[in-house]
Amino acid sequence: MKYFIGGTVFITSILTNVAFASEVYGPYPITLKDYQGEETNSVSYSGQVGRQLLHNSLKRAISSGAEMNVTKAYFNGSDSDLTLLDPVSSANFKVDVTNINDVSKTNLAGKAYKGTINGWPGAMTGKEVLESMIERAAQTENGYDAKHGYDYAQLVSKFAMGAVFYHQACDNYLDEKLDADNKPNNKPYNDGAYYTGKEHSWDEGFGYWGAAAHGATMSARVNYDIAKKKDMASADANGDGVVNLKSEMNYAHAYYASAYDKGGVTDYYNTITKAFIDGRQIITDADGDALSDSARTDLKAKARVICSNWEKVIAESVFKYAGSVYSDLEKLKANPGDEKLMRIHAKHWGELKGFALSLHTSGQNLGELGTRIDRLIGLGPVVNGSAVTGVDGGGNYFEMGDVDADKYMVHMLKLQKLMEDEFGVSAKNNDKLAGISNISEILGSGDSAEND
Amino acid sequence: MSEIIDVLQSDFLGQFLNPRRRLFWGYLLSAIIIALLWLNLVKKINVRHAFNTIFDPSVLLSKSSRADMICFLINRVFIIICRPVLVTQIFIATAIYHFLHFQSSVPIGLFETTPVLISTLLFTLCFFLIDDLSRFGLHYALHRIPALWEFHKFHHSAETLTPLTVTRTHPVEAILFTFRSAIIQGSVIAVFLFLFGQQLSLFTILGVNIFVVLFHGLGSNLRHSHISVSYPETVENFLISPAQHHLHHSSQKEHFDKNFGVTLSIWDKMAGSFQYSSEQKLTFGIGSETHEYTRTIAHMYMLPFKKVFNMRKKNFYPK
Repeated sequence: MKYFIGGTVFITSILTNVAFASEVYGPYPITLKDYQGEETNSVSYSGQVGRQLLHNSLKRAISSGAEMNVTKAYFNGSDSDLTLLDPVSSANFKVDVTNINDVSKTNLAGKAYKGTINGWPGAMTGKEVLESMIERAAQTENGYDAKHGYDYAQLVSKFAMGAVFYHQACDNYLDEKLDADNKPNNKPYNDGAYYTGKEHSWDEGFGYWGAAAHGATMSARVNYDIAKKKDMASADANGDGVVNLKSEMNYAHAYYASAYDKGGVTDYYNTITKAFIDGRQIITDADGDALSDSARTDLKAKARVICSNWEKVIAESVFKYAGSVYSDLEKLKANPGDEKLMRIHAKHWGELKGFALSLHTSGQNLGELGTRIDRLIGLGPVVNGSAVTGVDGGGNYFEMGDVDADKYMVHMLKLQKLMEDEFGVSAKNNDKLAGISNISEILGSGDSAEND
Repeated sequence: MSEIIDVLQSDFLGQFLNPRRRLFWGYLLSAIIIALLWLNLVKKINVRHAFNTIFDPSVLLSKSSRADMICFLINRVFIIICRPVLVTQIFIATAIYHFLHFQSSVPIGLFETTPVLISTLLFTLCFFLIDDLSRFGLHYALHRIPALWEFHKFHHSAETLTPLTVTRTHPVEAILFTFRSAIIQGSVIAVFLFLFGQQLSLFTILGVNIFVVLFHGLGSNLRHSHISVSYPETVENFLISPAQHHLHHSSQKEHFDKNFGVTLSIWDKMAGSFQYSSEQKLTFGIGSETHEYTRTIAHMYMLPFKKVFNMRKKNFYPK
């Protein structure tokens, strides 16, 4: 009898672990043929985590008024120690990193989108836009340009998440790097590597996504709390008493996905993270051989799931902050010139703009849709009846006066409609047309062939 | 092809399964119950006989009723095909909501701090009143404007009335009804949301507008039936009874252009078209024109166009 019970417990624990194993990113065995080294886990994305930490710290540095040499160091990388500014340890949330270079000596600048960004003054590339924002932030107090309504901490953060992370993942690692002749699976990623070309390409995509390796085993609420440094117990997957920032933290768009998912309508975090896990398993199953055509087809299908949902996460953010800007303008109409409201308005506008610009960095040309998005938001928020409309050769912003805040509010409504119609957002936080759709749903369709 | 059949099937059945629709099975059931109570308690007819009266095949399966059934199916197909291009109340509401942002007389959220209960009550009431008034107005126009009357004869050509007669509607009428609904409802929604904010809602019963549930649940299907439920005059002064609507369908001259209203009698009272219900036996239809109109189903749909065309020709080329 005891053998029967013991056997049942043993088999159950194996099955349970197998079930959970499919929901955790890694560890994955070494599949590189002829590998003689001592590594046992082929997963590696510390460079991407390093960039997540650079991004977090850059945002914190700008908002705390750091000098330009400091902020530029977080953007360009540095040979000297780079103090991690966020996340930092607190009484209830202990992290295992204080110097970003201990995770990876890397940078954001080298990976930023190099296409032209039309939605920002100056017709600059994504990298140049970020540089310009960082430089201008240093001329303000804590990154806030009150005259033009620019919150550079938000603008840089939200655009960098797109121009670096989303761009690299969806326009590089999950795109051309999945092709047969690019970083093939039967060769090391580079000389001396213990992982194959495809294994590492996929890992880097995952690192840019920013989910905790065990994130898919937890609810959206828990993942959100981890990103907010409120739930160490859930973050500390290996129980070593500290949050391992290389694998146990949620960053960037993964954090935003969990924020929307906790509303119960969407499931972006799990959809994307599980697609990453499934894709990594496809590569592992190839066992160090070049991917077959069918495996590559399956892998690319997973990449499409990842990137289409990732785009939706960004679109949800555009939707949400369009609603926030709408509300801000409504309050400012009732309280013109209120500086606190204007500061909040600039924050929300910066988030809106940063996410909206990010939509242009996937490698897919949005065409007319992209132009409509840019024009609805414009180049600057409405500040005391004016808005930035361009920049002159000397780098000075010029503005148009007599800007109609009412018209801008309607632009925000149209922008929300655009996100819904063109990107299929469904979390729809801060929905300013919710009243119309809710009431219409109660009333039902008006098409009627009924006489009364 | 099977997809088309699925769509049609689900739309047809949907009319009887959707509690927002008059033909919802629950409202048909309540109409039967009210009719039974009326015949048994008021008209003193025994229950068995009352049952037989309600389900009288000479009414339910008359030539006119069979035409109702065919028109119901044809009209549903028409609506399904035209749905993508029909203006919706969401479209109108959104457009007006946008427009209201540009006027400066009334600030957005003027009554935003109104307690939700009060704003919901006000909205539900105003919505009902304006909706009922606009239905009256369109119905009045369908009778008084000659070209529109040609199309509305489609509905009045019914010689027997059953709940399905409510769908005996010419497609041109259907388009007008849809426009009315979209414009009026869209406008009211937009204005109220602009004034009262996003927390605005309607009072509902099981997710359906309370006035819709009350109107249909309390026997709206009897308006098109052979059971002449009437109310005391004091009530008919306010609410239109099924018997008053039967008067509206009467082919006798003294009943023409009476009782256009849907729920409230007050609009007819103001317009001078009000009449109390009558005990007299009524015949329905459009008199001598009935046979011409109902010769065939195709005739029913096409004759109004011919009549209106000839009307225009006569106006352009008077003898």
